[in-house]
Amino acid sequence: MSLLTTNPTATDLVAARAINLTKIYGRGDTEVRALDGIDVEFHQGQFTAIMGPSGSGKSTLMHCLAGLDRITSGSIVIGGTDLTALNERRLTLLRRDRIGFVFQAFNLVPTLTALENITLPMDLAGTKPDPAWLDTVIDTVGLRDRMTHRPSELSGGQQQRVAVARALAGRPELIFADEPTGNLDSTTGAEILSFMRRAVREMEQTIIMVTHDPVAASYADRVVFLVDGTIVDDLVDPTADSVLDAMKRLGN
Amino acid sequence: MFRLTLRNLLHKKIRFAFTTGIVVIGVTFVVGVFALTDSIRSSFDDLASDIESGIDLTVRVPLQIGDELDRVRVPQEVADRVAAVPGVARVDGRIVARNTSVIDDNGEPIAPRGPPTLGSSWFPTQFFVVDGRPPDGPDEFAINSKAATAHDLVVGNTYDISGPNEQRSFRLVGIYNFGDPDKDKSLAASAVAFDTATAQEFLNGGEGFNEVSVAIEPGADRATVQQAVADVVGSEYEVVDQSAKIEETQADFGQFISIFGNVLLAFALIGVFVSAFIINNVFQIVLGQRVRELGLLRAIGATGRQVSRSVIGEAALVGFLSTVIGLVAGLGLARLLRIMLKSGGFALPDGPIGLRPRTVVFAVVVGMGVTLVSSILPALRARRISPMAALSDTAKLAKGSLATRARIGGLMVSIGAVLLGLGLFGGFDTKPLLFFISVGAIMVFIGTTVLSPVSASQVARHIGWPLQKVFGVPGKLARENAARSPRRTSSTAGALMIGLALVSMAGVVGQSIKETFAGTIDNSVRADYFIQSASGGFDPNVGFSAEVVDRLAALPELDLIVGYRFGLDSIDVNGSTKNVFTTDFAAGVSHMDPDVLSGSIADADPLGSILLHKDPARDLQVTVGDTLVVGFPDGEVEALTVAAIYADSTIYDNYVIDNAMWDRHFNRSELMFATATISGYSDSLPDDEKTALLASSAAAIEKVTDSYPTVTVENRVQFRETQQARLDSFLIVISVFLGLALFIALVGISITLALSVFERTREIGLLRAVGLTRRQLRRSVRWEAAIVSVFGALLGVALGLIFGIAAAIAIPDTAIKSVAIPWRNLVIYVIVAAVAGLIAAILPARRAAKMNILEAIATE
Ligand SMILES: Nc1ncnc2c1ncn2[C@@H]1O[C@H](COP(=O)(O)OP(=O)(O)O)[C@@H](O)[C@H]1O
Ligand SMILES: [Mg+2]
Repeated sequence: MSLLTTNPTATDLVAARAINLTKIYGRGDTEVRALDGIDVEFHQGQFTAIMGPSGSGKSTLMHCLAGLDRITSGSIVIGGTDLTALNERRLTLLRRDRIGFVFQAFNLVPTLTALENITLPMDLAGTKPDPAWLDTVIDTVGLRDRMTHRPSELSGGQQQRVAVARALAGRPELIFADEPTGNLDSTTGAEILSFMRRAVREMEQTIIMVTHDPVAASYADRVVFLVDGTIVDDLVDPTADSVLDAMKRLGN
Repeated sequence: MFRLTLRNLLHKKIRFAFTTGIVVIGVTFVVGVFALTDSIRSSFDDLASDIESGIDLTVRVPLQIGDELDRVRVPQEVADRVAAVPGVARVDGRIVARNTSVIDDNGEPIAPRGPPTLGSSWFPTQFFVVDGRPPDGPDEFAINSKAATAHDLVVGNTYDISGPNEQRSFRLVGIYNFGDPDKDKSLAASAVAFDTATAQEFLNGGEGFNEVSVAIEPGADRATVQQAVADVVGSEYEVVDQSAKIEETQADFGQFISIFGNVLLAFALIGVFVSAFIINNVFQIVLGQRVRELGLLRAIGATGRQVSRSVIGEAALVGFLSTVIGLVAGLGLARLLRIMLKSGGFALPDGPIGLRPRTVVFAVVVGMGVTLVSSILPALRARRISPMAALSDTAKLAKGSLATRARIGGLMVSIGAVLLGLGLFGGFDTKPLLFFISVGAIMVFIGTTVLSPVSASQVARHIGWPLQKVFGVPGKLARENAARSPRRTSSTAGALMIGLALVSMAGVVGQSIKETFAGTIDNSVRADYFIQSASGGFDPNVGFSAEVVDRLAALPELDLIVGYRFGLDSIDVNGSTKNVFTTDFAAGVSHMDPDVLSGSIADADPLGSILLHKDPARDLQVTVGDTLVVGFPDGEVEALTVAAIYADSTIYDNYVIDNAMWDRHFNRSELMFATATISGYSDSLPDDEKTALLASSAAAIEKVTDSYPTVTVENRVQFRETQQARLDSFLIVISVFLGLALFIALVGISITLALSVFERTREIGLLRAVGLTRRQLRRSVRWEAAIVSVFGALLGVALGLIFGIAAAIAIPDTAIKSVAIPWRNLVIYVIVAAVAGLIAAILPARRAAKMNILEAIATE
């Protein structure tokens, strides 16, 4: 299986790379090999989906790549930085400055307004957002009139859009999304997904998204399939049907 | 359902520990205080019996008012008559005096720090020699073993003893235990004893005994002997038996214990009150966190009643366990308190500490009561939780509306304010005035408590504003988190508010007293030197012999010396007992000017007149020239002419007689303090002359006082400083209350914050994921606590100010003439509260920072 992408729109720069990545939970009898020797590269300017059955290690992979979790062996390189060499504080700063996140739910700090949530990582870093870019991002999510609202005053879809905007606002090297549409109805989900795809196409962002929904995966440029902590398939330019096919193959 | 309740408790161990812990604190305080007071009371009761054992009957002159030591003396001749009564085994004339200090080898007097320094004749039935022998002769004395040990006094050495009349050297010949052959049960700072003749001459300055104690022959019938003695001495004297004396002594002790116990009880009540706030808070929060779970119960078929019963059941269990733990911990606290108080100079007996039924009842009332009451409201709300809550992500407990709160609270504060205003400015008599003020104050307090959640968010945002500017996002988070649940913030702050209200109030009162005093010294006091007991200040029971004053008066550098005395509850005016102050009418006004409104003091007849403050003059409806009938402790009654009415009672109090009048009716001759003026000194002299006069007079005074270490002499500046320092140290006692309230509030802040952090697990995970460093997270938690603390402190200080001003206005002019506010201290209190908040948040902040990001994100 080729690890190289053939996507014509991608630059050949690697945004994130895992080398022989292993993650083991527990010890002895209760040991779980959540990730078992993963080698994978994610290219800049690409929208990659990670799929696989429940328990296959999707979230674990994402958490490890994003520096949220420590790995057991192997290494992870984000834009030239080896995460295994970083201490807790440096990891936090790396997340703050170079990575964006969208989670399945509970993405926003309830005490901050939508705008404050969007600029949160930059405020934490004490840097000023690029106003032109911020404008673009806000216009793209289409919630300009909601910027002073608190999360509780926004719908689930709007909240996820704000979360995506936050992930984009700092122009991170890499955005991770863990089932970002898992809690949304299909229409709202589609809105978020196309919005994410536009961010990749038009704003040259790099997104890695975990999902178990073939339709969601079809928005991506590439789909990586995980089973039992190893990569078993790698689809380029997927459609909902090709993803379903792949899933059926893996299911057998 | 009960099994579920139990499960619930065991499952959420930390939450359970928190809730129980806070209730335990309240119960512990109550139990500790009751157990200690009970123990002290029973040891004192035992002590009273010990002290009076061996004395079957006591012969003495009845005393209606005044000090025990002001009893008219029993002459030797009466004692002799009693000795001749059949059935009487022995008769001992007893002589007792206070203010009898031994000056130790370092030249330091054994000074009273609460307990008195006693001098007495030798009591053969109560003094048990442990070293040497009883005193026998005009230059010998013995001392109790506690004092001998504490001050390294050695049998055979000679010591100066400063008595009520003079200072003299005696040789220590014996050391004794008081009340018990094996253990010195004396409570006095020191108790020196002389042979009877020496005691009579040195302590009493003459004939007679304070009382005569009688031991009856074994086998003789006590009642018969008592009657025979009474017949012999006549109706001028009273004959009381042992049990009556024991009761009297117990009542004396009881008075002291009551004051002591009430202070401790106030201590405990503050503790309970403050913890009630926190208990309530914790229950609300914990229940809030369980809404989904309770919703699930409802969804699978539990009735609303079953749900609320499980909530109350949980509270009952917490209350029960806390009561049990609190009972045990309270016994420990009682021991700890006793050790602390003893090391603080209180002479407390080491009796056994145990639980009386009443203590257990109180513990249950506090432990179960507070928890159950705190859980009723949440339980009723829990009943209304809909099964849908199980499905909703954002299910919350229903809450009362803030608008209703604003109305009720506002109404209460307004009514309270009106009552306060009426009390302060309505010109009522003392009783309705106190009623208006206290009810008004309570209304304002409760109203503020009700009202505080209404403004909590706003105020918290204002307080947090600078933090956001300084710390950026962590500051912003602190600010918003403090503002997000106004009820929680205000009840957490409420715990702190109580303590600060108390201390600020005391601060205002204290400052007002201080400034009143300073004003008096600056405006009314013309004396240049102030002579007082080295230890006593204005303690009415502490005085010094006039001997030193006589020697000072002989100095050519000094002009006039005026002595002053004070008798607590010592005269009878129109049927009610009053304090009395004395001075020399002729010279007193030139040293201390009480602002005479009418009449004249200097021209008043020392042996026929009395001076009155304008308030009692108004109450008694007398003016200058009228006659007042005054009763004295010796049973005499005199008609005295009102010679002057004055306006300033800060020094002179309400009733003043001349020293000559005092000498006529009182036994005690010690002075409470004295003042002196420098010869030729006047404020209009050039500075260098004034300095020279001050220096020469100070040197002359020092020569005299060097040999009288029980007395200190201060010039005006020094006097003012030491008096103010004394008031300050009184205020420090008040800050013990602050310490207590602060401690409980701190625990409360810590617990509330820990629960809040737990509640915000997901949010914290998210923040950490998007780049909040651990340090920033800790900082935001700590400053959130600081904001809440400052909110509580501001409320407390504001209330304290209002109450303090009200109290200062209500307190008689004797102590406070105008209100003064210690702004600097108030600011310090707020800062202390903020720092306390920061400290309280250390643990919750650490817990928050240690949270695993992934688990936090995954938490439902
Ligand atoms: N904190 C953990 N402790 C132990 N095992 C874990 C933990 N997190 C995940 N696992 C296990 O690792 C495997 C992969 O989990 P995960 O990455 O969450 O799967 P996915 O996201 O694909 O559903 C599963 O078997 C899961 O049970
Ligand atoms: Mg997952």
